[in-house]
Amino acid sequence: MECRVLSIQSHVVRGYVGNKSASFPLQVLGFEVDSINSVQFSNHTGYSHWKGQVLTADELHVLYEGIKLNNVHHYDYVLTGYTRDTSFLEMVVDIVQELKRANPNLVYVCDPVLGDHGSMYVPQNLYPVYKNKVVPVADIITPNQFEAELLTGKNISTEKDAVEVMDLLHAMGPDTVVITSSDLPSRLGDRFLVSLGSQRHVRPDGSRTTQRVRIEVPKVDAVFVGTGDLFAAMLLAWTHHYPNDLKTACEKTFSVMHHVIQRTISYAHELAGPGRRPSPPQLELRMVQSKADIEDPAIVTEATVIS
Amino acid sequence: MECRVLSIQSHVVRGYVGNKSATFPLQVLGFEVDSINSVQFSNHTGYAHWKGQVLTAEELNVLYEGIRLNKVNHYDYILTGYSRDTSFLEMVVDIIQELKKANPSLVYVCDPVMGDHGAMYVPEFLLPVYKDKVVPLADILTPNQFEAELLTGRKIKSEKDAIEVMDLLHDMGPETVVLTSTELPSKRGDQFLVALGSQKLRKPDGINTNQKICMDIPKVDAVFVGTGDLFAAMLLAWTHQYPKDLKAACEKTVSVMHHVIKRTITYANEMAGPGKRPSPAQLELRMVQSKADIESPAIVVEASVIQTS
Repeated sequence: MECRVLSIQSHVVRGYVGNKSASFPLQVLGFEVDSINSVQFSNHTGYSHWKGQVLTADELHVLYEGIKLNNVHHYDYVLTGYTRDTSFLEMVVDIVQELKRANPNLVYVCDPVLGDHGSMYVPQNLYPVYKNKVVPVADIITPNQFEAELLTGKNISTEKDAVEVMDLLHAMGPDTVVITSSDLPSRLGDRFLVSLGSQRHVRPDGSRTTQRVRIEVPKVDAVFVGTGDLFAAMLLAWTHHYPNDLKTACEKTFSVMHHVIQRTISYAHELAGPGRRPSPPQLELRMVQSKADIEDPAIVTEATVIS
Repeated sequence: MECRVLSIQSHVVRGYVGNKSATFPLQVLGFEVDSINSVQFSNHTGYAHWKGQVLTAEELNVLYEGIRLNKVNHYDYILTGYSRDTSFLEMVVDIIQELKKANPSLVYVCDPVMGDHGAMYVPEFLLPVYKDKVVPLADILTPNQFEAELLTGRKIKSEKDAIEVMDLLHDMGPETVVLTSTELPSKRGDQFLVALGSQKLRKPDGINTNQKICMDIPKVDAVFVGTGDLFAAMLLAWTHQYPKDLKAACEKTVSVMHHVIKRTITYANEMAGPGKRPSPAQLELRMVQSKADIESPAIVVEASVIQTS
């Protein structure tokens, strides 16, 4: 498999977020991963302390220039995630547009990280950039419910709402949308959350079809960091292998997440000791230990095709 | 296996040198790798063009501070390679000293990158820093012949010279020394180069033993970048697995190198086309494609024990 991904995300010295979360699993699955580190921090910002440096939009451009001057700016995928800087994000858009000119088949996988549980955790001025510039060039997006509502201006209270929101997101650009988590009630009870996916295809005869899926995902009683980054990377991998079968791609992706999270939470509790809440260092994803699950995830979450 | 490595090396967006070369193989072998990127460049400097940014000694210190403030400055190994900046290298030394105080069993694997084939390709004033500050802290050292000669002030013209130089390097600090390549003639002919290794071990009864080994490594007709970084990382992994058996550790390490290089050269020649010399971009190591060889390298090079005491 000759497949090259350009991933523009954070780097942390210790732990698994951003490029640290995305690169190893993609490489384990045989993807060539070129990575531009948008920041270099000691660790993610959920620890008591964090220190490091950020890349400016200009420095990003300089790195891209190097790639371009060597004529190696040919990518099959671009992957982006958490950003705090509008000028950086705008430079990313310029780069994606140029890469799409170089390879019209390029697939841009975008996690439009804006916030969760009703509030934004990036500067507000990123919102119009995502809405007007980033999402229109994205091919696959992985918003959570809050981000999907923000981008479309529509609230999700029912599955029907979610389907409409995903259709609105399709109309903005991406053919594949996965709402990674929602507050919708699961048919399996309150130990589960609901995720939804939607993929638009154009048939050979030119007509359009949409496959929509619903996944019941076991809840975990812990706050993880880096899981969204792992999710987007694994969705990239599994939609690459199943480009016309969102159901299977989602089953694989959500299953990998489950295995990594389970392994992580077991280990974290072991380290913390009985009755103690694990700390952020203890909750770092057990990424290298999950290599076999990443390579070949046993399916533990089933997706149901809806409407 | 709970083993955490701190690797302080370059990052390139594209390709496999520095941390890009070391991290994936170590992770594949189950090591936790924390990585501080000393630079971020678009690609290595053997391409027609390269662009990017360097980390200053101060910025390195800031990153380490973050790790320290969170009390997660506990490592089993440190790995360093190519550096161009004396103040950066000196900051690395300070960090290692502190990490060794936090964990006295820490093993520092150091590739003392200074040059090759008779010429330095880093600034000259790095030599005294390596000689006086870095090498004394190192536990495992992977110099080539030129670097070994520079550090000891002795030339290597025979196997006997190589043995003496490795012993001089032991005296400077590291208990494990691997001369990754030399110009010594191989008994297998001129399609092979000679590498040597030496390991001093302290037995429980307090007696020192020393194992020296020699390997004939098939030469490859191409210039690779990043292979030294891969070598040091894999030597870390295989000496971890075989801490008292340098012969086994070197056989694994050199064999991994062989598989990766073979796969790379085949692919590069395919990409370049018949009769054309592959470009630097085409010669990038086929790292992700070599995962199975990294996990479990078939032994293709045998090391001979040339001296034990």
